[in-house]
Amino acid sequence: MSWKNIKLILAREIRDQLRDRRTLFMVAILPLLLYPAMGIGMVQMTVLFTEQPRTVVFLNSDQLPDDPPLIDEEVNRIHFTWFDSTPDADTLKVITDQTPTDTVDEEQNEFVKEVLAEAEKLREPATQRQQTNERKLRANQKVNLLTSQIDEAEAERQKEGTLEQRRSELKTQIVEWKSQRAELDELVVQWENELEKLDERIAGLLAECQFQVLVVVADGFAEKIETVNAQLRERQLGARADDYYVGLGFFTNKADEKSLIAFNRVNRAIKNWGEKILNDRLAAADLPQTIVDPVNTTTVDVAQDEEISANLWSKLFPALLVIMAVTGAFYPAVDVAAGEKERGTMETLLICPATRSEIVIGKFLTVMAFSVCTALLNLISMGLTGKYMASIVGSRSLSQIGDLSLPGFDSLIWVFILLIPLAALFSALCLALATFARSSKEGQYYLTPLLMVTLGLTVVTLSPGVELEPFYSVMPVVGPALLLKALLSSPGDPELMVYAIPVLVTSVGYSLLALWWAIDQFASEDVLFREAERFELGLWIRHILRDKDETPSFTEAGFCYVLIMLVSFASLKYVTGSADQQVAAADASEAEQVAAIYRIMKLQMTYLIVAVACPAMFMGLLLTRSPRKTFRLYWPKLKYIAAALLLPLMCHPLVSELMANMQWFFRQLPDHFQETMAGFQHASIAVWFTWMVMAVTPAICEEVAFRGFILSGFSESRRFWLAIVLSSLTFGVVHMIPQQVFYATLLGIPLGVLAIRSNSLLPPIIFHLVFNSISVVGMRFSEKVDLTRVPDLLMWEEKGAIRYGWGTLAITAIIVALLMRWLIVSGGPLGGGRKAESISSPEVPAGELTS
Amino acid sequence: MIHVENLTKEFEDLRRGSMMAVDRVNFHVQPGEIFGLLGPNGAGKTTCLRILSTVLKPTSGCAVVAGYNVATHAAEVRSQIGFMSGNTGIYDRMTAWEMVEYYGRLYGIEEEALQQRLERIFETLQMNDIRDLLGSKMSTGMKQKVSIARTVVHDPPVLIFDEPTSGLDVLVARAVLQAIEGLREQGKCIIFSTHIMREVEKLCDRVAVIHRGQILASGTIEELESQYDESDMEELFFDLISRYESANQQHTPPGSDTSMALAALKERSQQKEAE
Repeated sequence: MSWKNIKLILAREIRDQLRDRRTLFMVAILPLLLYPAMGIGMVQMTVLFTEQPRTVVFLNSDQLPDDPPLIDEEVNRIHFTWFDSTPDADTLKVITDQTPTDTVDEEQNEFVKEVLAEAEKLREPATQRQQTNERKLRANQKVNLLTSQIDEAEAERQKEGTLEQRRSELKTQIVEWKSQRAELDELVVQWENELEKLDERIAGLLAECQFQVLVVVADGFAEKIETVNAQLRERQLGARADDYYVGLGFFTNKADEKSLIAFNRVNRAIKNWGEKILNDRLAAADLPQTIVDPVNTTTVDVAQDEEISANLWSKLFPALLVIMAVTGAFYPAVDVAAGEKERGTMETLLICPATRSEIVIGKFLTVMAFSVCTALLNLISMGLTGKYMASIVGSRSLSQIGDLSLPGFDSLIWVFILLIPLAALFSALCLALATFARSSKEGQYYLTPLLMVTLGLTVVTLSPGVELEPFYSVMPVVGPALLLKALLSSPGDPELMVYAIPVLVTSVGYSLLALWWAIDQFASEDVLFREAERFELGLWIRHILRDKDETPSFTEAGFCYVLIMLVSFASLKYVTGSADQQVAAADASEAEQVAAIYRIMKLQMTYLIVAVACPAMFMGLLLTRSPRKTFRLYWPKLKYIAAALLLPLMCHPLVSELMANMQWFFRQLPDHFQETMAGFQHASIAVWFTWMVMAVTPAICEEVAFRGFILSGFSESRRFWLAIVLSSLTFGVVHMIPQQVFYATLLGIPLGVLAIRSNSLLPPIIFHLVFNSISVVGMRFSEKVDLTRVPDLLMWEEKGAIRYGWGTLAITAIIVALLMRWLIVSGGPLGGGRKAESISSPEVPAGELTS
Repeated sequence: MIHVENLTKEFEDLRRGSMMAVDRVNFHVQPGEIFGLLGPNGAGKTTCLRILSTVLKPTSGCAVVAGYNVATHAAEVRSQIGFMSGNTGIYDRMTAWEMVEYYGRLYGIEEEALQQRLERIFETLQMNDIRDLLGSKMSTGMKQKVSIARTVVHDPPVLIFDEPTSGLDVLVARAVLQAIEGLREQGKCIIFSTHIMREVEKLCDRVAVIHRGQILASGTIEELESQYDESDMEELFFDLISRYESANQQHTPPGSDTSMALAALKERSQQKEAE
């Protein structure tokens, strides 16, 4: 690796990109113009939306009480006192049937006349609706009253000790009430139908109107208010038989945004006005104001201005950083990789003395530089625009969002630090994908899914409930984004520094992996010289079926895995959904629960056979010349069987302790899930059945798929460690639950080594079977074992689970290490010799393994 | 300088399955010699030369260039060769000078020596008027000149030209051939592939006829002419190929590209016999 060559390539690529107007536009011009343009647009929008007053029509406005006044007739507005802020009053234009139409403004007169004519059409159905509704509500009240009377009477009649005569009296009474209630019910139904028809009619009429809200004042509204006031003054509080009335009726279409805004304003003002009436009454009755709001809450918001703005930036910056880092990498990556192929300069570059890694790293650094620049320019432009906007618009309309002052300098340093691994990851991924593409256009096709996935992850980080926790901190993209979110919202929190290390370490790790992939892509002849072949499905299928190899190809193995995941996804509903609820149902009897557990276990078994074993078996039979070789159906040497028996015994304490100590790392599983898991241990489930479901079936099905077809396919290029790691990852991910994903991936390593070393599927099956059997036995019999006599150094018991002491762990760890060493080292490089006849290429891939 | 032994390259192909692009090829080239690789399109010339330039790795066999094995010492081989083909384009967004200078630097030439060398090359190839012209603004002929300058910037002992005249007009093609001839006089070891007989006759010291990845015949032009008793190089070439095709006829499935090409060949040979 020569830095001189890398620097040369980097300098050339950067100059090349800077000479490309499209890239420059995307990277520099767009962010500088975009945000100010968006700012201007926003100002114009607010102007457009606030300037237009909406019209509210009051019918029967003479029925409104005069004190306190709701409408300011002189200016045709609702009185400004009833609004939270005075200028809001101007956003509503009020027209009543008393609005004069003989003013000097001819246009205005015309408008008022038109609007009133429209409103007049609505008067009849609106009033009718009002009345019908009132009638209905009253009837409902009456029905409720009758029901409670009937219930009371019924209770009395049932009660022991009630005289026979009284009982028959009550019975006649009840019958009468019931018939009354039935009559009322009938009426209510009738009125409801009427209301429905009226509503339709009103909706039709409203749609043609020029105003947004119609308020119909009930006849005698002012009088009713006054009556109650008078009663209050004179302390006549007994008369409440008929105190129900509807004072104002609103008619509006809330689905229309303009109407909704207008309605909310009117409604709020009228609420305030109503409160005033209420307060006046309370004062008149000499009652404390707390009588209507006995709780009387107050909220103290301790958020400082900086904190509010930090909150805003902490949401915007991480999301923007991720999206801009990926778009910033996108175009240069396509240009330096696929573009180079397209313009026919790829081969020119390949014959220069620089090695492929130097070329890739040079290109990678170029892409990364642009990714970082794009993200930074975007952030700077957005931050400055935001600040500027805040200063010109003033605090009024932005006060809800908060102060837009930028985060502090140390926060900005963090933005930069976290941007580097993000940009590196995206640059390497984009470069690898773009290298695979034959042309710029194809490159864009490949990168679109990457963009989608990134957007998905960004949405995750933006969700308010999602906060940095150990598990998230090691996830790509999500980790840095969440750390940044946390750092921006509470800068200087020392707790966050704990997360900084795992976030940075894993991010750098992911970036290196992606870079390695990019280099690998670049070193592959198939990728660099992919012919622009005409693709025909028929031709391709024929090719796959005709030119089969003894063992599957890398792609076929990948496809098998995707197929397994798809079938798993499709069956998810059947495996978890309905059965879970049956177990979780608290009222289910013991027998029902057991039956449900049986059902789930059978489903689980079917799932393993259908979704995991079948795809691999069919693909193996269909796509390979030698299913025997693919699935390693050979008799292994005895020593490997012995290893397969011993290893899981030694691994189990290590894995179970590791998982017990990693609890904090994973999110708690949902309750119903745990209940289902616990259900498997239910005492009334036959042990042999549990063993079949939890040990035998997974051992056979999963090994056939992951150590059979998939491992064989991934070994195509004879890079066995890569194959083992990839098959472990696929094996892990298929388990879906994070905890299981973690340890299944770990166990995939010894399983893969065993499979390749023994060239037989039997040892991994034995390993898997023994391992799962220990779990089953541990689950079922842990309570029956008395561990008090065993020293804590070896094992102890905690909440019904067996825990292992340091003694056991040390011994098993040593044995596992020795066994693994023996498996890996003895007998030469992995897979060596077995396929020796086919190694005719000058590459010596097997050698890499032992190093 | 170049030793090729049993060189083989196998490709996977959607339509035909596995195919031999280069099939057990042997040849040697000495310094001060132009070796012509003559063959129809798709014969395996480009694949063979790509292996020599270390862009592709051989499936089996061995190729040694300037003392280095292409499979194991790719970087050393690359520093000893100049390679030019129809696929080695020049950068659109670089000027002629920048382009050649960039490659000179990649080859590790000292800055001072590089500048002198660039001046000399631009002088000899008469490129001084396009010095600051961007690649995208150049004509095909200009681009070809830049490519040649790029190929020779580090003064390599071995030069590989893969159809360097394809797509060029007569004037430019002639200039390119003259440049190659000039390089021979400097004692370079040159491989030159083409499907144009005239170029072979004019330029090459020795020739190998390659078809379907196999070398059908090789030697000096005189040797070949006397061996096959045919004074016209084009006829000789044609005979070799049709003889090969009829010998392998049973292997080609009817309806394929090859069998159609074969039918056309037959027709032509029959016409010739009739004449």
